[in-house]
Amino acid sequence: MRQPSVIARRVAVASVSLVVAAGAAACGPEDNDAKGSGGDSTPHKGGTLTVLNSQPQSDFDPARLYTSGGGNVPSLVFRTLTTRNRENGAAGAKVVPDLATDTGRPNKDATVWTYTLKKGLTYEDGTPITSADIKYGVERSFAPELSGGAPYLRDWLVGAADYQGPYKDKKGLSAIETPDSRTIVFHLNKPEGEFPYLATQTQFTPVPRSKDTGTKYESHPVSSGPYKVVKNENDGEHLVLERNTHWSAATDQERKAYPDRIDVRSGLDSSVINQRLSASQGADAAAVTTDTNLGPAELAKVTGDKELAARVGTGHFGYTNYLAFNPKVKPFDDPMVRQAVAYAIDRSSVVNAAGGSALAEPATTFLPNQKSFGYTPYDPFPAGKSGDPAKARELLKQAGHANGLTITLTHSNSKDFETSPEIATAVQDALKKAGITVKLQGLEDNDYRDKIHSVKTEPGLFLAHWGADWPSGGPFLAPIFDGRQIVKDGANFNTGQLNDKSVNDEIDAINKLTDLDAAAQRWGALDKKIGDKALVVPLFHPVYKRLYGKDVKNIVISDWTGVLDISQVAVK
Amino acid sequence: MSGFGGFLLRRTAGAVVTLLAISVIVYVVFYVTPGNVAQITCGPRCSPEQVHQVAEQLKLGDPLYLRYWHFLQGLFVGQDFSTGTSVEHCAAPCLGQSYQTDQQVLDIILAKLPVSVSLVVGAMVLWLLLGIGTGVLSAWRRGRVSERVLTAVTLAGTATPVFVIGLVLMIVVCGQLRLLPFPQYVNFTDDPEQWAWNLLLPWLSLALIEAAAFARLTRASMLETLAEDHIRTFRAYGVAERSVVGRHALRGALAPVIALNANNVGSAVGGAVLTETLFGLPGIGQELVHAVKVVDLPVVVGMVLVTGFFVVLANAVADVLYAVADRRVVLA
Amino acid sequence: MSEALAVVETAGTGTSVPAVSGARQFWRRLRAQRAALVAAAVVALLVLVALAAPLLTALEGQDPTTYHPTLIDSARGGVPIGSFGGVSADHWLGVEPQTGRDMFARLVYGARVSLGVALAATVVQVAIGVAVGVAAALGNRWVDQLLSRITDIIVSMPLMIMSLALLAIVPSSFPRPVLVTLVIGLIAWGTIAKIVRAQTLSLKGLDYVSAARLSGWGTWRIARRELLPGLAAPVITYAALLVPANISVEAALSFLGVGVKPPTPSWGQMLTAADVWYQAAPQYLLLPAGALFVTVLALTVLGDGVRTALDPRAASRLRVGTGRKAATGTGTAAGHATEKEASA
Repeated sequence: MRQPSVIARRVAVASVSLVVAAGAAACGPEDNDAKGSGGDSTPHKGGTLTVLNSQPQSDFDPARLYTSGGGNVPSLVFRTLTTRNRENGAAGAKVVPDLATDTGRPNKDATVWTYTLKKGLTYEDGTPITSADIKYGVERSFAPELSGGAPYLRDWLVGAADYQGPYKDKKGLSAIETPDSRTIVFHLNKPEGEFPYLATQTQFTPVPRSKDTGTKYESHPVSSGPYKVVKNENDGEHLVLERNTHWSAATDQERKAYPDRIDVRSGLDSSVINQRLSASQGADAAAVTTDTNLGPAELAKVTGDKELAARVGTGHFGYTNYLAFNPKVKPFDDPMVRQAVAYAIDRSSVVNAAGGSALAEPATTFLPNQKSFGYTPYDPFPAGKSGDPAKARELLKQAGHANGLTITLTHSNSKDFETSPEIATAVQDALKKAGITVKLQGLEDNDYRDKIHSVKTEPGLFLAHWGADWPSGGPFLAPIFDGRQIVKDGANFNTGQLNDKSVNDEIDAINKLTDLDAAAQRWGALDKKIGDKALVVPLFHPVYKRLYGKDVKNIVISDWTGVLDISQVAVK
Repeated sequence: MSGFGGFLLRRTAGAVVTLLAISVIVYVVFYVTPGNVAQITCGPRCSPEQVHQVAEQLKLGDPLYLRYWHFLQGLFVGQDFSTGTSVEHCAAPCLGQSYQTDQQVLDIILAKLPVSVSLVVGAMVLWLLLGIGTGVLSAWRRGRVSERVLTAVTLAGTATPVFVIGLVLMIVVCGQLRLLPFPQYVNFTDDPEQWAWNLLLPWLSLALIEAAAFARLTRASMLETLAEDHIRTFRAYGVAERSVVGRHALRGALAPVIALNANNVGSAVGGAVLTETLFGLPGIGQELVHAVKVVDLPVVVGMVLVTGFFVVLANAVADVLYAVADRRVVLA
Repeated sequence: MSEALAVVETAGTGTSVPAVSGARQFWRRLRAQRAALVAAAVVALLVLVALAAPLLTALEGQDPTTYHPTLIDSARGGVPIGSFGGVSADHWLGVEPQTGRDMFARLVYGARVSLGVALAATVVQVAIGVAVGVAAALGNRWVDQLLSRITDIIVSMPLMIMSLALLAIVPSSFPRPVLVTLVIGLIAWGTIAKIVRAQTLSLKGLDYVSAARLSGWGTWRIARRELLPGLAAPVITYAALLVPANISVEAALSFLGVGVKPPTPSWGQMLTAADVWYQAAPQYLLLPAGALFVTVLALTVLGDGVRTALDPRAASRLRVGTGRKAATGTGTAAGHATEKEASA
């Protein structure tokens, strides 16, 4: 989310997981000098960290949050069964234990997952954390009052599809068992080798039933992490977190928690956030942001300034921007037309429109170019750097459109540099060279979302993007290409409406694997196979440049989130 | 002014009718606005069943007239909302509860109003100073170079959109010269000095936009007054020019300015949308833009009603002020 | 309805008495003002540039939509290569960051949309405002009540917010510039209606109109023959202020993401895209901002000149003996209105 100055809150929160992770991160060895900036780079405890954000934390209820890896600010207050490894780059894409002693023990076919809680875990008030609290936390995420979380729990847990949460249904979910206060067992309706990834989400945070105040819980959620909420003004616009004295570093290997106090200010314009970070005056010297990255104009300025350039981290997040076809709409039912479009695409002008080569990498694969996804390079319709209009014309001729073709490209009118007019006009300009006249259909953002995600109104060609719920091929490929996930009467993400038995079977087969490395390889191979069908034209993978204040040390940015991890930074 | 009480009563009745009409219009317009509210509330990945549950929870399935009826009910007798674990009563006048954040609309408004009021009142002081000052000077120095320069400056303010002025001011004053902190709202009650320093740039940005209108009005009004008989008489009696302009003419010329100002206060609360969005001030305008984007009808209606209320109120005040000021002018 | 505002606006324009002078007199007076003449020339030039946009860009050899990826530095966010934003013999005003599109072409094409939308919206506003204002002033009590109430509602609604909603509702197939024009025009006619109503009320009370009425002229004839000429001065003056205001509204709508759609350029859209580039590529911001400034300045000065030419009393030396009358005239409008209000 490049410039989310005016964006729907809940939508934005959802995108924090799907989309955002827009972070600054040190990925790749050459960027790893990001740790500390000059002088004494050893991190020390103490001080106040300021977080300048664009989106307010208006959802601060663990049930409502849609996060990748437990989120950033939320992860300071909510501990989960498992969490993401707090390391730079690819190492950060691993799942590690958090409240639990391990990442989960599956039964033979990965349909039953058992977790044991560490000893001595307590809430901010000193009361012990029990497995029943985790079960309750998962259950309340099913309440319609607390909607907003990811769909996996509902899809995976036995008998959960119609469950309405503990407020309406006192019996609770039988799919979750708590044989004793430290053990919790999840029963799934199909094999899911990636369950440990799911257990990083905030729905797996313990919520003490006696402290649950329903929709009001978010004003002061009970902390299990290193910080507790001491102030929550204007529905998450201004948060102050202070040390939770009942948290013990002995049970938490992941969160460093250097600062004594965290002051989160949000509702700021993204250009203002970057201006403040670059000026680094007063409290802003010890400031970071978790949802704003440098835009192209800011990057142009920063790269010309050595002092500023040293304060920029680079982040990668599993994310792909692409052109989507609906093969049910003519002329896109003809694979040759889709291939012609793929050949004609000028990725360098698309990349420029997205912010230039520092902020976007050209993409020819649907899966992000990271190892944890099982990235397997392929390019079925090589367009080179700036398109192959000759090849495109040839294909069009074969398809019976020798005199050119007029098509409509649907995009959003938002200002996100992803599905926005800038990208659409770049595509329009490139296809012109291949004799394809593109009419732009720009829709208001809500209208656009409704239209592209409904099989009844889905346009023939539109800009789309997809982000990873966790760094693996599963949540990346299944929602988009699994034929059984076509939703007829609701939000549908299988926009190519592909229902191919061999693809479906392969997805099932990979889900059975609990060896995540082996699974990654298979996802990569599947991606290549689907790529040949030309249902999408991958355009680019975004890169995130994140500026931070001059006193901030110990910068850690994982490939899981691509965001500067505020559980690691120090200001002293 | 016969029957001031009658005037007041009539205006109040008129205001209520106007505000209700506005609420109906907003309801209808946002009812047909695209955007599946339940899907937005639930999240993009929610299944149809879950979306249906949320829609039921928010009573979105009801027909338009019924939803408006519930709104009116809330306004006059209050409403109950479930938090899941308990039931919360929202006392009349209840503007409902946000679809997106479960906050009560009145609470949201009360939290945001001080910011918008601070912004508008401060900007008003500034635009009056700038506008009247420029207007008087340019009437006095009519046709000279100084007048042209002043006119050009105020026009530059009007001609440049507030988001450009604001951003440039911010980059130059806060980023490069480092004269002021980057604006960040501080409660007046917490620290009045910081409140003022932080709001200075937003005030200036908004004031520059409005100042030109006042400058023009003051100038025109001054010229008219300066040409009147009694001013000519003062001059004939040899009263110093500075005194003629500053004391006698200005007083006569201020009446229309006062009235225009009362009018602008109301609309400026709505016009602060851009300023608040740019500076990240957590006021009514910023919240309203958010609410529109997520089709959060209760919040939109509530906030439009509040801004509408200020406009209606300001118009009434303008009429009273003008009547009072006008009499003084005649008396003078 | 706030009578004060209407009175204020007419007071501000200084035209409470109808201009009975003919067209020839008007032109003579306008020609006498050098500033107004220069402004008129600038406005004419701008309109000409907008109309001749395809011709001018053909002369330069560019168009507003073609990308020039070789002219920008992709690694630095797409900042134009070369000084002054890549000014060259091919690109007279440089190129746009990120795309390399020609700035001159975008600026002159942008003038079409910005001026076109602003002028057309003003026409809509004036048409509705005059119709409603005159009808309210001449109609019976109920008509006046109804129209005044509607005007109140229109004035009390936040323009920006309603535009956001309205622009989202209308299907995207509807031509966007026309839509933006209609939305601005249909939402922001309240003030002009108020001015016209107040002015008409004050004219109605004047001797020669009363005389016309006494001699049995119909309402329509009075409106056409006696009132409209008297309304011309304040309406034209206010309209001259509306045009630049509408240009700004168009820009603001673009800022909020609901303006004219790309790739069609407009100044508002350019400003919106350019504001963050202020430091890295200043000319990107300064060109549309400068164009907007010159346009607004010229229109305002011209509006001022027109007022002076329409209303001979504005020249203060002519005020002798009529000053008090003018004040009474203004007072009549307010007094009349307040009476009406109080009696209703």
